[in-house]
Order: sequence, then structure tokens, then C-alpha cells
Amino acid sequence: MKMLSTYRKEMKIAMRGFYFYIEIFIAVVMLLILLVAIKENPDSKQREYVFYDARPEVVELLFAKYIDEGKIVPAADTEIVMKPASFAVKNRDTGSTVSYSFDSAKTIMARTMREIDVDDGRIKKTIFLLDTEEDVLRLSHSSGQVGAIVSLGDRGTFSYRYILQGYETERLTNLLYVYNARSVDVLEQEMDRQAVRELGSTERLNARESAVPALITFAGSLMGFFIVMSYLFLDKDQGVIRALAVTPATVWMYLLSKTMVIMTTVLISSSIVVIPVMGLKPNYLLFYPFLLATTFAFAAIGLLVASFFDSMSKSFGVLYLLMIAFMLPGFSYFIGSFDPVWLRFFPTYPILYVFKMIMLGKPDVPYVLTASAGFLVGGLAVLAIANEKFKKTLTV
Amino acid sequence: MIAKILRIFRRDALVATRDSMLILIIAMPIALAVGILLFAPGITDSSVRIGLLKDDGAEHIAFMENYAQVELFGSVQELERRVNKRDEIAGMVFMDPGYEIIVQGDEDPGLLNYAKFLNSLFTLGITREDATAQMLSFEKTVPPLKTKLVNMLILMMIMLAGMIISLGIVEEKADNTINAINVTPVSQNGFIVGKSLLGVVSTLGSIVVSLLILGYRDIDWLMILLVGLTSMMLTFIVGFLQGLGSDDVIAAAAGVKMTMLPIAGSIAGYELLAERWQWTMYWSPFYWAYKANDLILSKRADWPTVLVCVGLVLGISMLIFIMAMPKIRKGLS
Repeated sequence: MKMLSTYRKEMKIAMRGFYFYIEIFIAVVMLLILLVAIKENPDSKQREYVFYDARPEVVELLFAKYIDEGKIVPAADTEIVMKPASFAVKNRDTGSTVSYSFDSAKTIMARTMREIDVDDGRIKKTIFLLDTEEDVLRLSHSSGQVGAIVSLGDRGTFSYRYILQGYETERLTNLLYVYNARSVDVLEQEMDRQAVRELGSTERLNARESAVPALITFAGSLMGFFIVMSYLFLDKDQGVIRALAVTPATVWMYLLSKTMVIMTTVLISSSIVVIPVMGLKPNYLLFYPFLLATTFAFAAIGLLVASFFDSMSKSFGVLYLLMIAFMLPGFSYFIGSFDPVWLRFFPTYPILYVFKMIMLGKPDVPYVLTASAGFLVGGLAVLAIANEKFKKTLTV
Repeated sequence: MIAKILRIFRRDALVATRDSMLILIIAMPIALAVGILLFAPGITDSSVRIGLLKDDGAEHIAFMENYAQVELFGSVQELERRVNKRDEIAGMVFMDPGYEIIVQGDEDPGLLNYAKFLNSLFTLGITREDATAQMLSFEKTVPPLKTKLVNMLILMMIMLAGMIISLGIVEEKADNTINAINVTPVSQNGFIVGKSLLGVVSTLGSIVVSLLILGYRDIDWLMILLVGLTSMMLTFIVGFLQGLGSDDVIAAAAGVKMTMLPIAGSIAGYELLAERWQWTMYWSPFYWAYKANDLILSKRADWPTVLVCVGLVLGISMLIFIMAMPKIRKGLS
């Protein structure tokens, strides 16, 4: 009962303050960004600059097949401005290096093609057909994008010169070497013959939905860590902590009520983002317990960190470093093939994974419940340590 | 006047040394730079992963290693467990007459296509020796992802300086030292400049050291310092506004979160928005700072473009400063 009244009092104070509404405002802004700026299937920004050293009829014939199949869509010509530049190009196969210097700017109208993903209609890449080899080199150099010079040989076969930036991995370079070693038709036929076995669900989150687990992890759960510290130092500055000593509330109740305020705020702000974007897809019965357990755990870590310092600015270094460390699994989340073992030890790593699982709507229920219990128990343990520290220091 | 400003700078530096704030401002970005240095190679080598069995043919394993990161497993069950993990990896197991590709099902379609493509190359017996392609290279050494991380680090350093100003002022308000300034010969402008000087010097120093650690030695330093200095101006104005407008640390913390929004939004906008939607970010000075840094760090910058970016950062910053000046003065009074 005492706990509930302490929580009610803390909640009233929080709602009188500026921060609570900022949190709601930011959640609304994030929602608008997700709904307006992030497309479900965004077009790729990849560009490719190509020069075909062949008769125009040959180039037309080459593209006609893909245009008919709907894989390539011609677009309006694009005006491209090339700035003065100088650079050297090394032919890795012959070892020769050629230097180029272009003293003046040049404007061209490039014939533009868009490669389309036939499954979802999004643009996979934009291809610019250029008139000279030098234009390809200039644009590839200035933009850092892929370039290719394709020549038609005497026997009617194409030979390719790819333009690398220099930092590409050896594996990618090896792939480019063999990429056009056989005709596309032969390769496509062989690819269609490949046997594929899927182990689980084929359901994927689209680009907009994919952002949701990251937003609720970093702007939701993790924020509790930062905000609970701010609340605590505010109370210290205002002398509320000293007043606590003459009330029947214990330090434990005080700390718990602070974390409950954070949990309520995160619950509201996360719902603002999740419900409109995901609709009925997620399993909310698993989502909310997991959200609350993780927010509680981070708030407890925040309280423990705060117990070592007596002002916000002194704790700022540790706070900042921990926040950045906790955000590192975000790289692994967005770059699927980047998943070093050491990253799995960060608490935000399983959080992102579980939120994604919940958003997909078919979560591994025992796993999610175990993870929720793990964060809850872990959070309680950390809170107990923080409580002991605060009790000893008396001043909180 | 300059002597008084320098006195405030010295006082701040002294106070900062006492509560390790200066060490934090300088050490933190450098620690992050070292982190990126250790972290970036892993990210740039993020080619496709293929899982094979240990008793798979040596020829097949060697072939796949040419094009993908290969992981070997003792049994099909072990391989399937690996495929079922969170990251993206495709397995390949020989099932007479050919290889079967095993995927989880929810991966990026590119992974399955890549695995199919590699297996097709192997089935058709295509090797590098068959290739007629040639590779031309500009021999650039810095991958774009590293440049993006470094660019974010620079903005983070600038933001850190703003946050520290904001929190410093809130604490000065709590200690009532702000009012004391009004009875000293230091003008309000002098106080603002003096109070910002520590952040400017330490942040610029940290930017330079971090870039040196990260191997960006041959960039145009004048350009990078110019962009850093101008974008820092804006952060300081925001830092002052937040500090003076906030009565307590919780309000300052809320302000910090508000500042993170345009910074993160500018980076995301620059990186993710299609060319035709880039204009929607033109209002943000952080967008122009990020763009300028991106061009400078990737050595694609020219003075006219950098000056336009710097001019826009400066112009928007000045506009905000002029609009905020009455509030800053009121806050200091």
C-alpha cells in the first residue's frame, strides 16, 4: 500500500514535469518518421555507371530482353554534373597505372535504367549508361559507386572491366571476376534448379517494421537507464532524498517507485510507436511483460551506476560510455552478417532479438518468457545491490 | 576582455580537472576512436556466410572460401542449429545428386540468391581461371562504413560538448554562481565565450587526435576544423539554451534527448533518404555538417561545396543565436 502511494506520488510529480511530455512528444515524432519517411520496401540508393563499347543496336538488344521481363525499367535521362578531378587507376591484372586529370566540370545527360525487384517492385539499383570510359571512371571515383566498362569482342562475347574503389574485400573481387563468366540465362537456369530447404518461418519484417525493435530497445528500454539517473540526481539537488529519511517509506520503496515511473513512461511511449505501426501482428501478451522487464533491468543498472556518484556531471562519463556500449548490438541488428561472438554478451543483443521475434507475431514463447524472467531477476539483483549501497551512503 | 575570457576558460578547465570532466571530454572520444579502429575491420568484412560440413569435399570448401566466409560443422544437426541462430548464414549439405541449401527462411532474399549463385558456379565448374574480366582500382583504402562511423563520432563529440555546457550551467545555477557573474566585470558575451572556450579547445583537440588514431592523416585539415568549429557553434547555442532554460538536471536531460533527435534524424536522412527527398533535411545544420564531413573524410570535397555547407551551418546557427539571444541574456540575468 505504502509502495502504491509512493508510486502515485512519484507519477504525479513526473507528470507535472517537462520530461514526461518530451518522452511522449519524441514517441509521436518517431511514429511520424516511421509512417511518413520510411517506406515499407524502400528503393535502393545503389547506382551503377556503365559504358558499353559496342554499337547502340547491340546495347538495345541486350536491354530489350530485361525490359520485356520487367526486370529493367527505362527512366528519363538524368543530368549529371562532373566536377574537376584527378586520380590514378591501377589495372590489377596487368599492374599498369594510368593517371587522369580533368580540369573542368562537365555536364552530361545520361540514359537511365532502373533494375526492379520483380517480387515487390522496389528499385534494386539505378544504372546510368554513359558515352565514354572516362565518364565512368570520373563518376565512379567521385561517387564511390560501382562502375563497369563492357566491350564487345570479335567473337560476339562481352568482356568486362570492373572499377573497384580499392577497399573491397578479396571475396567480393573474386566474385566480380566470375560474375559474367557464363551467360545470365545459363546461370539463372542452374540457380532455379537448386534445392532449398527452409527451417522456419519465411515471414520477414519490412523496412519500417524492422526499425521498431531498435527504436523500442534504444529509445525505450535503454532510456530508462539514463532517465532514472536524472530523476535521482534531481531529488538529490532538491533535497528530497533527505526528506525521505523522515517518512515511513524505505530506500527500497523509493528506488522501486522511481523505476516504476520510468516503466510507466516507457510503456506509454513504446505503445505510441508499436501499436500504429505493427497493428495486431505482435503478441502483446508477451511484448508488454518483456518491455517492462527490460526497462526495469536497465533502470536498476542506472540506479547502481548513480550510487557511485554524487552529481549528474560526474556520472556522465560512465553513463555515456555504457549507453554507447549498449547500443553496439544495433550494428549487428541492421547488418545481418556482422555478428561477432563478443557482441552477444551485451544485454541489448537478446533484447533486440526477442523484440524482433515478438513483432513477427510467432515468437518462441518459452524463450521469451525465460528472457523476461531473466531480465526481471537480474534487475532485482542489481536493484538489491544499489539499495545496499544507497543505505550505506545514507545521503542516497 | 580577452584576459577575462581566458580567466573563465582557466577556471572552467580547473574545475573540470577537479571533477574529471576534462578527462572525460578528451578521453571518451579517443576511447571511441580506438573502439572504431578495432570494430571497423569486422564490419567491412561482412561478406556472406556459408555453413558447410567438415567432411564436405575439400574442393567444395576451398571453392566457397574464395567467395564467402565459411564456417564448418560436425553434423547436419549442428549446422541447422547454427542456421537457426539470429544472424544470417546459409548452409549447404551434399544430398545426392547435388547440394541442398538450408536457410532459416526469414533472411534477406539476397543471401539465398547469393548461395544459389555460388552453388551454380560450382556445379557449372566455373572458376576464377575461366574469367576474362579485369579489375581497375582507385586503390582507396578507407571503406565507406568506417567514414560513416567516424563522421558520427565527430558529431557525437560536438554534441557531447553541448551537453556538458548544458549540464555545467544547470549545476552553476544550482550553486548560484551564475548570479555571481553579474557582479563581476565580465560581460555576458564574455561569459558565453569563456564558458564555451573549454568545449571548443577540448573538442577540436579530441577530433584531431581521434582522426589521427583512425588513420585519416591525409585529409584536408583546414576543412575539417572549419566544419567542426561552425557546427560546434550551434551545439553551444543549444547547450546554453538548454542549460539556462532548464531548472534541473531532468529538464537538461530532456533537452539532451531533444537535441539527439535532429542529429540522429540528419544522419539517417542523409544516409537513407532517396536523392529526391534529401531537400526535406536542408533545414538541419547537422545535415550540412554531416554532409561536409562525409565529403572531406572520403576525400571527395572541394572548397566551394564545403564553403556552402559551412555557410549554411553558420547561417542557421546565427539565426538561432539571434532568436535565442534574449532568452540567453534573460537566463544569465
